[in-house]
Amino acid sequence: MLFGSHLLINKQNGGLMKKMLITALVSVFFAPFATAEVNVVSWGGAYTESQKLGYGDPFTAKTGIKLNWIDYSGGLSEVRAQSEAGNITYDIVDLYAKDTITGCDEGLLVEFDFDKDFPAAPDGTPASEDFFAPMPSDCAVGNILYSWNYAYNPNAFPGADSMPSTIGDFFDTEKFPGKRSIYTGAMSNLEIALVADGVSTKGVYDVLENQTGAVDRAIAKFEALCNDPSGGCIFWSAGAQPPEFLVSGEVVMSTGWNGRFFNAIVGEGSTIEQVWDGQVLDYEYFGLVTGGPNPEEAMEALKYFTGTEGLAGSAKYIAYAPFRISSLDIIAANEPWYKDGKTEMLPQMPTAPDNTKNYILMNPEYWADNEVEIGEVWEAWKASL
Amino acid sequence: MSQILTTDGLPLEESLKKVEQKNKFRAFLLVAPLLLFLIIAYVWPILNLLTRSVDNRLISELLPETATALSSWEGNDLPSEDIYKIFYLDLNEAHKQKLSGKVSTRLNYAKNGFKSLINKTRRKLKNFEDENYKEQFIDINKKWGDIEYWQAMKVAMPKYTIDKYLGSVDLEKNFKGEIIQKPEKRRIHRTLWLRTLYVALGVTICCLLLAYPIAHLLSTIPLRYSNLLLICVLLPFWTSLLVRTSSWMILLQQQGVLNDFLVYLNIVQDEARLELMYNMTGTFVAMTQILLPFMVLPLYSVMKTIPPSLMRAGSSLGGTPFHAFRKIYFPLTYPGIGAGSLLVFILAIGYYITPALVGGASGTLISNRIAYHMKETLDWSMASAMGAMLLVSVLILYWLYNKILGIDNIKLG
Repeated sequence: MLFGSHLLINKQNGGLMKKMLITALVSVFFAPFATAEVNVVSWGGAYTESQKLGYGDPFTAKTGIKLNWIDYSGGLSEVRAQSEAGNITYDIVDLYAKDTITGCDEGLLVEFDFDKDFPAAPDGTPASEDFFAPMPSDCAVGNILYSWNYAYNPNAFPGADSMPSTIGDFFDTEKFPGKRSIYTGAMSNLEIALVADGVSTKGVYDVLENQTGAVDRAIAKFEALCNDPSGGCIFWSAGAQPPEFLVSGEVVMSTGWNGRFFNAIVGEGSTIEQVWDGQVLDYEYFGLVTGGPNPEEAMEALKYFTGTEGLAGSAKYIAYAPFRISSLDIIAANEPWYKDGKTEMLPQMPTAPDNTKNYILMNPEYWADNEVEIGEVWEAWKASL
Repeated sequence: MSQILTTDGLPLEESLKKVEQKNKFRAFLLVAPLLLFLIIAYVWPILNLLTRSVDNRLISELLPETATALSSWEGNDLPSEDIYKIFYLDLNEAHKQKLSGKVSTRLNYAKNGFKSLINKTRRKLKNFEDENYKEQFIDINKKWGDIEYWQAMKVAMPKYTIDKYLGSVDLEKNFKGEIIQKPEKRRIHRTLWLRTLYVALGVTICCLLLAYPIAHLLSTIPLRYSNLLLICVLLPFWTSLLVRTSSWMILLQQQGVLNDFLVYLNIVQDEARLELMYNMTGTFVAMTQILLPFMVLPLYSVMKTIPPSLMRAGSSLGGTPFHAFRKIYFPLTYPGIGAGSLLVFILAIGYYITPALVGGASGTLISNRIAYHMKETLDWSMASAMGAMLLVSVLILYWLYNKILGIDNIKLG
């Protein structure tokens, strides 16, 4: 190939070819210095894919700024390690609400001037009003709303007269025998256990904060499930696991993130079903790392990602609801919005009216506060299983 | 006695010393890069780890006056108005420097609930009036009137503390400075330490039982076969740890290859498939396979040096094969057993990824807890303290080994 081009240069219109070759070489060597690259850190799998296709690639096409998508499994340890070592490589991180609180407290994330930093909706509504909910800290900008709901494998209950439909059914091993899979941490688990035990979805955090023994009560519910000979538990930690467990028949029901279930059902055609009763509706955010390698380009990217079109774009690929109300309007006007061109997206979202008949709204402040002590209790219980 | 002088008039001894010194310096220069590397990559991080585990200066630097005031406070009744005022001034100062967030995370390690308490309070700091500080604090949040928070703050104040070490064995300090047990349901670490020890020992024994015959076979069959076999031992060694662990997951899960095979053979019922993973069994099986080469190789290198004639001599002197093995062959392999066991044990005691993936709830080890504090709670002091304890327990083991068997007895190959 190189030899061939050499021949071309000498025998044909050498001057032009030479110039082009030199330009090409120069641009290869200097390209990395000329255009900045932004490192975006997220949870991987179907979710990162939706972010990449939904707003990552369009952003690069528009501005020429290259994005590097890096997978991680949550938490701020990498950001803090990089910050302590003085060698920060992350620009943007996709975070839980509680991590945006801690990150802001520790000075690891940049504080936003929200309405100045983020564009208004197309109709002029300022960003702070276009987003569904106020941000949990000054360092957070909303990305999606997702759900910790559960799904089951209908093939596992051949003789049952009805399929699981409430959060109580998740704990009902008499009607629906078989192993369950639950999240490895206490977050979201305590909430659903209390609701299954009769607490109202709106009153969960009130009970957790003010009633002594509420945590024990929730754990007892799981203990009964996990020690039940016709039940049993395994714990998942990565978002891709729950659908995998269900499809392989490893478990009959599993909690998980609704987008991953959607991806397995609609994207891959697996026979699993979602249950929305008692779902924990949670928010996901972006944070901008203090002292990241390319702060200006990163801020540009963040503006684009969390803009009306950006957020609507990612919903084309995964069933997480965009954080902006104006993005929903775009989707509603253009249904069927899913990439296959025939699946309506709005009914699949955790915010759809049919899915929010009975839901728990995640309280990140409670977890930022109590994570350590509840974590000990939870792990001690797990160790005793 | 007359001194021997060299041509430049110096005594011979001194002259020789000079030359020698030059050589020594050159030799030192040759090892200097390695030494430097060791210091940077090994000694410094360990020292850093040890200091981090006891260093608690940040909080008393952020709240200097409060630290002094609380140290003389008895802790039996709510602090006086003065202390509330001092705390207000400190917190306000920290808030101006944008450091009140750090106060909230640090105090939250001491007692959960501080995080939102400080964060809610700091938003209202600018509205404070210069009297009745106690009342104003309690107005913001009734937790400021709860003595437990002040007691926790008092405990959290010393510049250097062993609290994290206490925490990693389920103890804590109360406000009087007495060391007490944590509430029973929050005791997690002792279980995990014991379990880690148990798994490391168990895996070492399993490895030894499996590796001994393999190594013996390797050392006795002809070279061309033994090379092939050795490659079979080494091949998994060259494969990524993650890949091997994932392969075990495919083999061991309830709908996995092994269970399918057993069901096919009618050894187990389809409804009663064996639980081979997400429990201790999974951890044991996967860790044993992964660590096996570390046992085979030292054993092999020792066994190869044992002349086969020794066993024959034993038999010709009237010993049964078992007797000859027990009295002659086995004792000669001690250095290999020692080296292999120590290697496997030390690796097993700090194992992280395999128990995290196949261990489930009952198969997780202390290293998973360290990772939890590194990643989830960001309490790196706690993680450091647990890491330091892991280091010390390995050193104790090494010392014990030296005491009982002698470290010069070890042969790594």
